[in-house]
Amino acid sequence: MMQGSLGKSSNRTPIWALVAKCACRRDPLGTIRTFIFFALFYLYIWLVVEPRFLYAGGGVITNFPVFFKGWEFFRHFLSYPGGLVEYLSAFLSQFFYYSWTGALVVTLQAWLLCLCTGYFFKAINTPRLRWVRFVPPILLLAVYAQYAYHFVTIAALLVALICVSLYIKLSSKTESPTSPSLAKGPAGKLFDLALFLVLSVILYALVAGAYFFFAALSVIYELLFKRRWQMALLYLLLAGAVPYVQGVLFFGASIIDAYTDSLPLSWKILSWATRREMVEIVYALYLLLPLTAFGLGLLRIFGQKSPLLKKHNKGRASRDLKKRLPGKPPNLVAAILSTYTASPILRCLIESVALFAIAGAVAFFFHNDEQKTLSAIHHYACRRMWPQVLHTARRNPNSNFVVNAVNRALYHTGRLAYDMFSYPQHPDALLLTAEDRVLAYWHKFDTQIDLGLMNMAEKNLVECMEVYGEHPTILKRLALINMVKANYGSAKVYLAALSKTLFHTGWAKNYQARLQSDPNLSNDAYIQHLRSVCLKNDHGSLFYAKQNALSTLLQNNSKNRMAFEYLMAWFMLTKQLDKFTENIKRFDDLGYSEIPRLYEEAILIYVYGTKKPVYLGDRQPTPEARRQIEDFSQTFNRYRRNKPAAFSELADVYGDSYFFYHLYGFSGVKQ
Amino acid sequence: MKQEHKSKMPRVACALVACVLIICALVYAFRENKVAIGQYNSVARPPEIYPDYSRAVIPPNIAPLNFLIQESGAHFCLKIYSKQGPTIEVFSRSPKIMIPENAWHKLLDMNRAEQLHFDVFVKPKASSSAPKMPNDKWNKFDTITNKIAEEDIDSYLVYRKIPPVYAAWRQMGIYQRNLHGFDESLVLSNKYFGEGCLNCHTFCNNRTDKMLVGIRSPQYGSSALLIDNGTVSKIGTKFGYTAWHPTGRVAAYSINKVNQFFHSSRTEIRDVLDFDSLLAYYLVDSKTVKTSPPLAKKDRLETYPTWSADGRYLYFCSAPLSWSDHRTVPQNYDQLKYDLVRVSYDVDHDQWGELETVLSAEDTGKSILLPRISPDGRWLLFCMCDYGCFPVYQAGSDLYMMDLKAARQPPEASYKYRRLDINSDQSESWHTWSSNGRWIAYSSKRKSGVFTRIYLAYVDEQGKVYKPILLPQKDPTYYDSCLWTFSVPELVTEPVRITKEKLGRVVRSSRKISVDMPVTMATPTAGALPSHDEPWRQERQ
Repeated sequence: MMQGSLGKSSNRTPIWALVAKCACRRDPLGTIRTFIFFALFYLYIWLVVEPRFLYAGGGVITNFPVFFKGWEFFRHFLSYPGGLVEYLSAFLSQFFYYSWTGALVVTLQAWLLCLCTGYFFKAINTPRLRWVRFVPPILLLAVYAQYAYHFVTIAALLVALICVSLYIKLSSKTESPTSPSLAKGPAGKLFDLALFLVLSVILYALVAGAYFFFAALSVIYELLFKRRWQMALLYLLLAGAVPYVQGVLFFGASIIDAYTDSLPLSWKILSWATRREMVEIVYALYLLLPLTAFGLGLLRIFGQKSPLLKKHNKGRASRDLKKRLPGKPPNLVAAILSTYTASPILRCLIESVALFAIAGAVAFFFHNDEQKTLSAIHHYACRRMWPQVLHTARRNPNSNFVVNAVNRALYHTGRLAYDMFSYPQHPDALLLTAEDRVLAYWHKFDTQIDLGLMNMAEKNLVECMEVYGEHPTILKRLALINMVKANYGSAKVYLAALSKTLFHTGWAKNYQARLQSDPNLSNDAYIQHLRSVCLKNDHGSLFYAKQNALSTLLQNNSKNRMAFEYLMAWFMLTKQLDKFTENIKRFDDLGYSEIPRLYEEAILIYVYGTKKPVYLGDRQPTPEARRQIEDFSQTFNRYRRNKPAAFSELADVYGDSYFFYHLYGFSGVKQ
Repeated sequence: MKQEHKSKMPRVACALVACVLIICALVYAFRENKVAIGQYNSVARPPEIYPDYSRAVIPPNIAPLNFLIQESGAHFCLKIYSKQGPTIEVFSRSPKIMIPENAWHKLLDMNRAEQLHFDVFVKPKASSSAPKMPNDKWNKFDTITNKIAEEDIDSYLVYRKIPPVYAAWRQMGIYQRNLHGFDESLVLSNKYFGEGCLNCHTFCNNRTDKMLVGIRSPQYGSSALLIDNGTVSKIGTKFGYTAWHPTGRVAAYSINKVNQFFHSSRTEIRDVLDFDSLLAYYLVDSKTVKTSPPLAKKDRLETYPTWSADGRYLYFCSAPLSWSDHRTVPQNYDQLKYDLVRVSYDVDHDQWGELETVLSAEDTGKSILLPRISPDGRWLLFCMCDYGCFPVYQAGSDLYMMDLKAARQPPEASYKYRRLDINSDQSESWHTWSSNGRWIAYSSKRKSGVFTRIYLAYVDEQGKVYKPILLPQKDPTYYDSCLWTFSVPELVTEPVRITKEKLGRVVRSSRKISVDMPVTMATPTAGALPSHDEPWRQERQ
């Protein structure tokens, strides 16, 4: 029996230990560095980027995929090229629901890119350039730090890169002297051609247009590294034909999609501004290896003596240095270089520091804190995590979307009538009016549901569904709204769809069971509450006129406290204090034991300004409130009613008051 | 190394053989065993099944009516039998019954005009069996009986699949379904022209060799794709609701200034109003568009054209235009009701006759919409709803049938019509006739809320419409979680053979047949055809 490295051993060592041992034997320091790099990468993505905010989307990511269990959903992806990588990406993207699992997925993607890139450089005999393998993960850091979503196209690139590695690995055997049957020559070329074709067909079905990455690298490899120009030419022709034959003729895709799907230059990405975010980085990812390989190939042909092409030899480097300077003592630079090349630990240390410094710089400078704040606030608001909403809002309080969530949080914590002017406020933010209406819908449907504007919320949600897909966040709310409206037929469809998602099955099944046992949901307190506040008047004009809608909500149910507080907030924001004071009589219906601070201020402004009395029943503004308005007036008068001059002093003391907002038209300035 | 290689081969071969054997064993173990049901307990009621395929008339060439048995049990059995042919037995551990296609087709084909029986057996779960019903005994429910029609239904059904709202034109496609089986294929989707709207697919005499599809694209403009015997051309204007003249030489279509608005508190949120509309017609031979005074009155809204079977009359809906502001939904939008009118037409001389009212909204108290005439010219199927022009958004929209050839009552009376029994408390609309006039397909929102589904119903020679069946799917629970809306079904005798790539290419092409409109709508501005480049609401990022 032959013995050798593959011979039987009496002591069976686990595979993972063998791999680790092998890696450490080759480059122990490099292995440790790679481990630390990806550990830090993972921690950064998990704790700083927090993929759960990508899942939430913030209304910016419009191509975050949905995923449903079952054959029906999967079947659709088989009908077009690139469908399978989309399906896989859709599945893996769902793990962004939890930050730690999402970070794991992203890290795995980055690591595989690193591994395959390193393998490629090793395979083309340029180990000195193996450091380039860290470039793709660093570029990924930039993409995710900006809260851009390009998972699908990067996954397609990864699959193509794996196929490149496979091609190089399998076709290399043709040069093996121990396999005479696969020697160079016609048989070897035929084998390589067949291999290329088989991989092309499989890969194209998997990744559609990203196949060109594989084709380009294969052509370059054949032309410049194996010096087989006929093969390269043949591959080039096949690369042009495969998408047409498979994509257009077999799958029936449009010719544009057949050649561009899954590529970052697909119209499905470039047609939308939000999807174009960081697409240049994805271009860089796609072009990195082909351009590098092309350059190396040319160098190989025309620059034989290039140091890049020479294998690294620790001892030889310092011997070379001595040869160049025979008999002369080395100068400082030469000494440093000599030490650098001679000491693997020092070299590793310096390279590691450089790597981590670059990665750290990318992570720092690319991090989009504003987008993170917006996504985080929406995420917390959707989950009714009010303290987190208010805390996070301090980081970026000026966005109308943030203000909308803040007001909702303030209402639900009983503070809207006390603290709303501690934050920046604007009439457009209360019920959100924005240029991009679908983005506005994404941020306000929960406010509408809470108020009782069910139809408005439903309309906004289905328009969001068209733009963002059948996101579980949307399906859940559509199911809820239809249950509130007693449209059980529609509700059941949404619930059934939701039960096929990965992380919302429990909620859906719970309501499916409830509908069985309690068809009218008469025992569901939340549904009953929403039914009680639901707008009952049907009129087209109520759909867009905020003030009318809020007033009508109150007419339908005088105990709709949120509608009341939002209406009062609206009157304050638009300075309609006459209407504000007309609604004070509702205090009794709503059980206010005292006049909230901001309402006191508004009442006092009205009374002092118009000299008209306001009936408050048993309630009166507090002496403190009276003292404040007088102090405010005196301070303003002291500056001869010069607003800019009085700003600093008034902001310091009254920046969170309605007095300040009423005078200046903005708020949230008190620190 | 070679010897090692050789010694590995038998091991690999053994492993492969072992795998195959294991797989075979698993398949055998988990196959549904046929069980001879000897004794059983009779349950004196029919079983609850979904969809409800009971007491209906079914096409002899329809796909298997797979359904879900909504009874609690551990094992399920279905026996299907008719007058002739072997009984089909289906055993299942799940309540989903998947009927074998070949056996189904053979049974139906040999029993046309006969009854078809379903016997459902359920074996209770061990823990839930009542004392009087031993565990090992099956429960048999009352037999479900359907009738197999004599006449086939058209082989294909073409429909539009869209999300419940289509304001942003993201996902939209026209699909065709082979009614013999479950295959559904894409005719064209808006992905082939960078997203836009496509609808109003119309076929001449239920055939696909002559058809029209309306396109609205921000990038490539509004147009109508004309498919004529394998040739695809683009007409440079959008056709609204379109109807082919039986000769195929003329296509009448509507031009609608559509406005969608929303209800703040109603089950159906959306509503539609035509601020203005008129009818025009396209002459295929001369490639021209024309209109005529009866079709385009300044003080009327004309829409939903349909031709009589002999092509001598054009029927359509007409309502008074009582507003001049085309930006604001009028306060009295819910008072708008359409009459059913017709005008005679001589296709050889391109001459129109006088307008006459067939059925007036004043008489019915409802808005009369979507007239469709059976191929034999006898029956006029239409829907009526409380107001407006878009019955799919009106829960009260119901289907009605009018006998065109029945003797009229004294001249002052109108044609007789009746409300069909197949209506539900939700919207019924978008109806179509099969080429033999024996089947109708229509969209209904019964039981599915905002999601329209397609139903098929048999119409006998006396015009009686039988209980409809839901368009069958391979998985009977498909509709439970299906978030698509199926609208505008059209029965056709053959599939659309032009590839979607070709259709998309024509849409994207700049070559088109230019047409000029000789008359404008009831607005002060004279000039070209109204633009349909803007969707109702175009998404802005």
